[in-house]
Amino acid sequence: MDLSSGESRVVPFGERFALKYVGGRGFGAKLLFDQLPRITDPLGPENIVVIAPGPLTGLYLPGAAKTAFVTLSPLTGIYGDSNMGGNFGAELRQAGYDALVLAGRAEKLSYLYVDGDEVTIVPAPHLAGKRCLEAEGLIREELHSQEVRIAAIGPGGENLVRFATVNCDWSRNAGRCGVGAVLGSKNLKAIVLRGGSDLPAADVAGLRVLTERSMDELAAHPLFGFWQQQGLMSVVDYVNSAGVLPTRNYRENVFEAAQAIDGFKMEQDYKIGDTACFGCPMSCGNICLVKDGKYKGTITEGPEYETACMLGSNLGVGDFAAILKGNQLCDDLGIDTISSGNLIGVLIEGLESGLLTPSDVDGLPLAWGADEQINALLEKIARREGVGDTLAGGSRALAERWPQLAPLMVQVKGMEQSAYDGRATISMALAYGTCDIGAHHNRAWTVGKELEAGARWSPQDRVDLVIYHQTIRPLFDMLGVCRLPWIELGFDENHYAEFYSLVTGVAHTLDDLLARSRAIWDLTRLISASRGISRKDDYPPPRMFERPVERGPYAGRVVDRAEYDQLLDLYYQARGWSRDGIPPADRARDFKDTLV
Amino acid sequence: MAKRLTVVPERCSGCRLCEAVCALQHFGVNNPKKSAIRVLALYPHPVIRMPVVCRQCAQPKCRENCPTGAIVSENGVVTIDAGKCISCRQCVISCPFGAIFFHDDIATPFKCDLCGGHPQCVQQCPKGALQFVPDHGLGEANRLASVLRYAHMSEVEYVEKGERKKLRYAEIGREQKERAGP
Repeated sequence: MDLSSGESRVVPFGERFALKYVGGRGFGAKLLFDQLPRITDPLGPENIVVIAPGPLTGLYLPGAAKTAFVTLSPLTGIYGDSNMGGNFGAELRQAGYDALVLAGRAEKLSYLYVDGDEVTIVPAPHLAGKRCLEAEGLIREELHSQEVRIAAIGPGGENLVRFATVNCDWSRNAGRCGVGAVLGSKNLKAIVLRGGSDLPAADVAGLRVLTERSMDELAAHPLFGFWQQQGLMSVVDYVNSAGVLPTRNYRENVFEAAQAIDGFKMEQDYKIGDTACFGCPMSCGNICLVKDGKYKGTITEGPEYETACMLGSNLGVGDFAAILKGNQLCDDLGIDTISSGNLIGVLIEGLESGLLTPSDVDGLPLAWGADEQINALLEKIARREGVGDTLAGGSRALAERWPQLAPLMVQVKGMEQSAYDGRATISMALAYGTCDIGAHHNRAWTVGKELEAGARWSPQDRVDLVIYHQTIRPLFDMLGVCRLPWIELGFDENHYAEFYSLVTGVAHTLDDLLARSRAIWDLTRLISASRGISRKDDYPPPRMFERPVERGPYAGRVVDRAEYDQLLDLYYQARGWSRDGIPPADRARDFKDTLV
Repeated sequence: MAKRLTVVPERCSGCRLCEAVCALQHFGVNNPKKSAIRVLALYPHPVIRMPVVCRQCAQPKCRENCPTGAIVSENGVVTIDAGKCISCRQCVISCPFGAIFFHDDIATPFKCDLCGGHPQCVQQCPKGALQFVPDHGLGEANRLASVLRYAHMSEVEYVEKGERKKLRYAEIGREQKERAGP
């Protein structure tokens, strides 16, 4: 869809392309790579957003619900992607598409209505400034439909906040890399879908048998019930007990009020229901209601672990209701809870250390645990008001305005780190340093394993583990399914190769699929390398090397620079890249193929 | 003993596995839009996840308003006879629950037929939000819940070491439960 001209076309792709790039992130990376020479500014009309579920999305299959949003990130300037659950991907495939490629810029604020093969750009100036849920409600009214699926940006995206999100199904978000800002730069307020097509599967009967057996397997897992009850909120207690919960701008690793914000607290005082993404029995979504106090009436689907930490322990906030309010605000305003919490933490520490003065933050009495001020700041970020305008630019903008804050920052490649500490486990430091989108844990989450068993690992062991994670985890983003059945309930990863074989009709082993994922890793590296990424950008933030953990079982720990450099050397060797972290010159040739 | 398909919306997570399996069972395809059960998810005010499916009414509006008599009730199941159906979709509009559906690929409107006695949606629901219960079971869950709510609130007085104390039924056993953990 070219939003500038209003012209859209349906582009077929062949089997070779499908099997090589698989779908989701794979399709997105390839299509972005093809457009790259034309893109100078991530917020310019030449940038594209590829919205791609995978070949397994929408089928009768556990966790068949993920959609990748791929773009050149306005936060980092390099390859960016973010995943979203819910029902959007299933509907897009039912509308008849395996990817939506958005280019150009609409003349005025509009939404895109995709109703099967009828694609319309609907001018929507009346939606300007509307929060995500408000916008969604108005669109449903206009279209007289409760059944269309809507992905919308909020004021955050419209105001080009560099970590703006795309929101769907109440609380499912494409949260990282500022995908929402790219849509905002295209004047696209929302994408509305309706579809009714059969979803293709070569062996429908075989797929049903495998799925039903899988559902039984998952339900039989001893942690299945607990997972349905707490979802990802179970991680708060796990991580705090393990001593790796980022607290007060990652200074400490244990939070004294962790019990006030964990999954048990949620179950006891706030949770009123469960939600699930399409096709998922785990229903990790928690519906929470604040029944009394100053935040009475706040209702969200959330929080997730990341939000509980980044708007909770990381800001010294030990009040579950306050975190819920912050979560609700971020969902509705359309800004990332992780980046927001991370940046606010830097700001608070800056104030505390005297590196900033109260007038720098518009006189807002920001402090650890000051939930009302923190929530007020979230609004200001989304609307780019006062200090919110600087924060809205992300870590780079913050460092540009206040260079003295740079040593306090926890970011890699320009993207704010998520809620794990890299000093307790060096493999996690490597994971954050080498993640392809910036400091995020989606690609490699090695904390658990290393804490459990990593004391005697060799450097090669650590590198191998990170690379294994960086190969298998994004495979899910290509297949368009959720990782959680596998990572939380021990669902055999080989089943996904079986699913893929049944769906495509082409026999695949897990190794076949891992090879595809491995190739895409090189592809995203090529994209980012063309924008200047190299070894210098593959390090965790200086704070991890210089500032020891202040509290908890890992107090005193830092990342050892020499040890990290050794890991990085081994990492590049294992990847077949140069010592400077660049893939071989001819690697790009492998991705210059055509769609058909 | 007649059984009824009932819905417990408080337990529904909106996963739509019921839709997926229904379409597979009846039309052999992966297409939730060919399902005879649909989950409507509303948020945030009110927050509801509600599977909507035919209630096999004893005096069905669909049968009443069908111009060709294509809709009949047999053994407690309301069915659409494709041979007589003209696809006017009057049944779709007449159903007070909106539990009759249609799709361009399919000649006639379609609805739940209880899968011949073994409803697949009930089998596959991971939350217990769909139940296939005997007729007399309808309403019983609510009766039980209201009785328990009453019990939950009531207190029992007792004497411990000469001191009069009150204990709410709800508190009994709670300490033990908390110690046991997840």
